[in-house]
Amino acid sequence: METIIPKTSTVLLSLLRADYRTQWSNRRSVVLSVLVPAVILISWKDIVDKIGGAFALSTCITVGLMSIGLMGYSNSIARDRDKGVFQRLRVAPVPSWTIMVSRLLVQLTMILIVTLAVFIVGYYFDHITISPGGYALAFLAALVGGAVYLSLGQVIVGLIKNPETIQSTTRLVYFAFIMIGMLGEFGILGKELQQDVHWSPYGVVKSLLSASLQPGQWKSETLTTLAITISYSLAFATLGIRWFKWNSR
Amino acid sequence: MNHPEEADILKVENLNVRYGDFHAVKNISFSVKRGEIFGLLGPNGAGKTSTLSVLEGLLKPDSGIVIVDGFPAHKNSLRARASMGVQLQSTSFQPELTVSQILQLYAGIYGVSMSDENLSAILKDINLDDASTKKFSQLSGGQQQRVSLVIATIHNPRLVLLDEPTTGLDPQSRRQLWERIEAIREKGHAVLLTTHSMEEAEAVCDRIGIIDRGQVITIDTPQALIEKHKNDPEVIRVSRRGKITLEDVFIALTGTAIRV
Repeated sequence: METIIPKTSTVLLSLLRADYRTQWSNRRSVVLSVLVPAVILISWKDIVDKIGGAFALSTCITVGLMSIGLMGYSNSIARDRDKGVFQRLRVAPVPSWTIMVSRLLVQLTMILIVTLAVFIVGYYFDHITISPGGYALAFLAALVGGAVYLSLGQVIVGLIKNPETIQSTTRLVYFAFIMIGMLGEFGILGKELQQDVHWSPYGVVKSLLSASLQPGQWKSETLTTLAITISYSLAFATLGIRWFKWNSR
Repeated sequence: MNHPEEADILKVENLNVRYGDFHAVKNISFSVKRGEIFGLLGPNGAGKTSTLSVLEGLLKPDSGIVIVDGFPAHKNSLRARASMGVQLQSTSFQPELTVSQILQLYAGIYGVSMSDENLSAILKDINLDDASTKKFSQLSGGQQQRVSLVIATIHNPRLVLLDEPTTGLDPQSRRQLWERIEAIREKGHAVLLTTHSMEEAEAVCDRIGIIDRGQVITIDTPQALIEKHKNDPEVIRVSRRGKITLEDVFIALTGTAIRV
């Protein structure tokens, strides 16, 4: 009986395979993450010329990213923590970080899928075309922006232990972000709120995506937006990791 | 530094766990030898779960040493965890995964190569060859426990920790699980199990440690414990059927009051 300490890469690959399989079984949630942005995009068909393709796409990708980070990621973490899935993994010779990295890699893949889906819907229904560089940059921006909502989801599962409370909280935050974000951005909720929304986690991610879709219009303010987006991610991730407990009891 | 056959596979020395002002585990020491089934018994809140959580690496003790297969767990937790197999009290796996996918996951995690033939053989051995595509949640309690046990031993560990492995099982499944636990011992593994069933402890364990209020009260073989305490007035008083059982000794030692 020789004790084998598995390689970290082997462990990570096994976790990734299982997490992708789990995600595949939950394809309905992926469809839902795509559905809301797609419906918004299709409903804006007649006003796309007025608001601009980049505005429409960036708004819809932001909504999709929120859905992945706030609803998908945090709820799956809450459920598995409550069911003891993490505890079972942690008694194995697995570095704890590999469990989370595997989960996050799956979510990053989801971000790319949702972004791609929004581009396809935008192209077919609203005839929005972007330069190849714009598409490429937008994928990168989606990953950076998605990190904000994933880390915000981490904060929520760090603060709250009960999975039902987490589910209702994430829904509330998701709808609040959409309503206040979109209405605020249009100026419907007043000038002051419009400014606040612009620098909020919703506003900076949307602005970053919008600028990335038009690389030619990248300006110094975009760099500030990028810096703030990264700062939000780091701040939320720090708090989320610090507060997170592997066991819900 | 893998140790010779006669060495203790698990050694716990002066273990202390505190939750704020509450001293849950007080200077607990015991050891489990190769090829031995050691039962850790105690009423609710006695400190069993805290002790086990420390051994499993889920809880950091305030003081004390845990040595698994010659390696101090606090210094080399990955090696300690690789040397042991664990069946948690309420084991859960990702509900979306099938039985064979769960086995593949844990084989990978423990660094065991798992061919389709190996997988089929394992499933056949636990009478689940027809259930490979079933999800874990679709299995009966007994089937779930068999899967959990096979995962706990998938990497052929020197030490197997079983936390109340037969809770909720019918007598047939319980008997079958006892046989499987004994088979683990026959292979030379050391087994540490916790249970509330005195019948189980008497039937399966080679030695028993009774803990209460965070302290080890006694450690001995089930028969020796009965023999040692059979004439205690308190044991005779709590005895229900004339014949002194391990349960009578346990209740006499830990008290009749119900613990929450």
